[in-house]
Amino acid sequence: MKSAPLPGVRSLRLALGAVRERTGATGAELYVKAGNTRRIEIDPWMTPVTADPDDLQAQVSVLDERGWALRAGGASRALFLADSGPLPEPNGWRRLNRHSLRPGSLRLPAARSGTAPSPAADTGEHSPDDEEAAGLAFLHDLLRRLGERMPEARLVRGRLDSGASAAVLASTTGVTARSGRRLATVELDFAASRDGRHGHCRLYRAASNLHLLGADAIASEIAERLTLATAPAPPFLPAGEVAVSPALGCNLLALLTPLLRGRDGWRRLRKLGAGRPLGPPQLQIVDDGGLDAGWMRAAFDDEGVPTRAVALVRDGEPGEPLLSWEDDGWSGFAAAGCRRRSGWRALPELCHSHLYIAGTSESAESIRSGIVHGCYLLDRVHDGRCHATFEASTNGGPGRLEEGRFEVDAIGLVIRRGEVLGQAPRVRLTGSLRQLLQGVRAIGDDLRFLPAPGAVGAPTLLLTGLQVEAVG
Amino acid sequence: MTSTANRAGPRPLLTSDVAVPADALSRLAAHGNQQFEAFFERLETVELLPRGASNRLRLRKEQGLGVRKIENGRSRLAAADTISGPAFAACCDRVAGTSRSIGAAPPRIRTGSWPALRLAEIEQAESRLTRAVNRRRVGFPMEITARRHRRQVQVVRSPIAAPPQFEEYFSLQVTTPWGVWGGLLPSLADEDLDPVAHCLVDRLCSRGLPPHGHAPGVIVLGPNAAAVLLHEVVAHALEADTLGLSGAPDHVVGLKLGGRELDVIDDPRAAPLACKRSSDDEGTAVISRWLLRRGRVRQPLADLAWAERCPGMIPGAARRASRHRLPGPRTTHLELLPGTIPETDLFAEAAGGLYIGEFDRGNLDPLDGRCVLRAPCGRRIGASGPVDHTGPIEIRSRAVDLLAAVTAVADRPLAGGAGWCAKDGAPMPVWARCPSIRLEGLQVAD
Repeated sequence: MKSAPLPGVRSLRLALGAVRERTGATGAELYVKAGNTRRIEIDPWMTPVTADPDDLQAQVSVLDERGWALRAGGASRALFLADSGPLPEPNGWRRLNRHSLRPGSLRLPAARSGTAPSPAADTGEHSPDDEEAAGLAFLHDLLRRLGERMPEARLVRGRLDSGASAAVLASTTGVTARSGRRLATVELDFAASRDGRHGHCRLYRAASNLHLLGADAIASEIAERLTLATAPAPPFLPAGEVAVSPALGCNLLALLTPLLRGRDGWRRLRKLGAGRPLGPPQLQIVDDGGLDAGWMRAAFDDEGVPTRAVALVRDGEPGEPLLSWEDDGWSGFAAAGCRRRSGWRALPELCHSHLYIAGTSESAESIRSGIVHGCYLLDRVHDGRCHATFEASTNGGPGRLEEGRFEVDAIGLVIRRGEVLGQAPRVRLTGSLRQLLQGVRAIGDDLRFLPAPGAVGAPTLLLTGLQVEAVG
Repeated sequence: MTSTANRAGPRPLLTSDVAVPADALSRLAAHGNQQFEAFFERLETVELLPRGASNRLRLRKEQGLGVRKIENGRSRLAAADTISGPAFAACCDRVAGTSRSIGAAPPRIRTGSWPALRLAEIEQAESRLTRAVNRRRVGFPMEITARRHRRQVQVVRSPIAAPPQFEEYFSLQVTTPWGVWGGLLPSLADEDLDPVAHCLVDRLCSRGLPPHGHAPGVIVLGPNAAAVLLHEVVAHALEADTLGLSGAPDHVVGLKLGGRELDVIDDPRAAPLACKRSSDDEGTAVISRWLLRRGRVRQPLADLAWAERCPGMIPGAARRASRHRLPGPRTTHLELLPGTIPETDLFAEAAGGLYIGEFDRGNLDPLDGRCVLRAPCGRRIGASGPVDHTGPIEIRSRAVDLLAAVTAVADRPLAGGAGWCAKDGAPMPVWARCPSIRLEGLQVAD
């Protein structure tokens, strides 16, 4: 089935004119999005990885999504309306009238230089017909490779999504933008039992293309994690250095996102430093909506504001806050395109796109082998704790965690002078948020992105001053 | 004031003859092992944010269809965000793998008009809830977001069409200086807002108190909290796909999970008035399903695919989050049958223990059977019933241990414990009716 193409900007402007005429709104904006997804789900039936791939209960879905959202109003009255299907014709807005606007307000970004229509392609129907076969081949390949490494592993659940979307936006302030995106994600749950010990792991990976997901690398990661998850607990855990893999580094950075966006985040970040540097001089934390080769890459955000790289932490000091156009000029800082919609039904919200700790030239291997006596933590335990608190919570806060602290349950290795002394199936890494940043001693060269939501990236990190304790 | 939810449903979703798509689907089956099903859906969410919010009124409408082929336990689904003959024909072609699979001309499919918007009840929610709080002689700042959810579903499975289904319910999110309360309500009438005010005042009284640390010998769970516990450790645990993680789902039938006082039923027909279902999201008639009968497993929750794999299972519990998701076995309306003990007696034998009125979070690990339940506050039980307030409490235990700890069930069931179940990232409304229960010998973890 060939979907209808996205409407042109001219059609959107005609629709906006009709909306303004009927409602009396001083401003209006239309956002139209279309996409298609091929989804392969493996039913939960604890399939052994060595089983015949044809025995997998693969459920296939071919999904076409299309919808639009209208924002209309002014200083005192406003409306948000979203609907599925194609955009109505200009005479299809008859249901709207002056009473459709309710108390509320609407502000829209003004057109700036550089907000000309983006040449991004309409990728809504670019999925090849063999995407489904490629997806199944990927899963079969992954299971085969994992079976070679760890035959006792069992697939609990799997989901592979591969698709493309395109969007077009126009407003009465003159903003227009087009964007397109391709994305493939895989979410896998595996379990294994060894010597009476049970363990499981969950992986969620994304790439801009199904062929970039890499079955061999993912199979290797799963085998590594299942081996650790089913290992006996170590007799002791050394205090001192902790190296964290890019996967766990991404989770730690994701915990810090409330510090790294908006005016409130900026205030908290400044307070965290308390007059001292936030981290070592080599620490750079960046958010970049237009990152080359990033799977969220877009020239404009979902309100048509140009994206750019924002150095949130520069040389270990607070750099600039991530501000939306509404806060442009706040404390002398410039805004960036950073308001995104989770779908056509959603309003744009301030969020990161590619948030990452920039890598350095130090090799990750030298960081791991340089651990004198400590732990190398590979990944979080998916059913364990992973949270941080930023303000005192009276009720509704996570557990007993004090203000400005974090805790993450992880799997890893105990290392002494580069040699693995033992495996740690479940440890709890805790500490203050301040120490998490100020305790960074080395940053590797193996920057890697994970879906968080958005994309969060980190290289291997060497951390000091944090607590590690065995759990369970 | 009478309930605003008690009113006739809107016109059926499909105004054209449902026999037409049913007939088209019957032409698709190449052999007897193939089943085809069409799922038509219409959703409307009206959201009113607190005063001062930008775009305070938010209206979301959507409709679409999905066509599914089921063959030897495997599904193939094609979905589109529009309801029309050509979209239906295109989805049929995709699942059949051929063009013009249902003939040269697409069938005629028409939809009825959307129900009237009726904003007044949502606009009055804030003042009604404020009055309900004030009746308890307290007042505090609240930011209230009110939503009304409507869902119309029509399932056509060749050669028959199930009756059209309509659900209407409300959700509230109340932000106070000491936390956020969220939940589902069958209506925004005073009788449904009053328990919300009760929860908010409980949280006010327990604000700033430290987490409850030591393990009490006895815990009494109010109807809301009991419903959440049973949702996690009975309903989720007995969904066929959850059971499939650890073996054949039908092997649990007859297994003893709790004491003889535990009779638990899942009955979508007994859900609150505007949320009752007569058929599930696969078009199968729903039944009153005994999950536990005198503490033993009787009938796990199953959909068509699991019933096909495990012949002892009865379908009728399929739910789907949207046309873009495959159906799966899920609970809809859970009931714990009342016992014989008056509630006052339940407390009389629990002095020194802890009363928990609500859990705001619950989670069951399907692989190891461990359950975590979190209450934002509780109350110490004195000689006359619940007295002093306590801080947050977290209960970590194995599901079987939680059920084994239930020693008494009160005699007065109440509707409560409704909320969003977010299993597999697909939120769905769930309802319950439970009496209070008493647990003994549980551990309260940090």
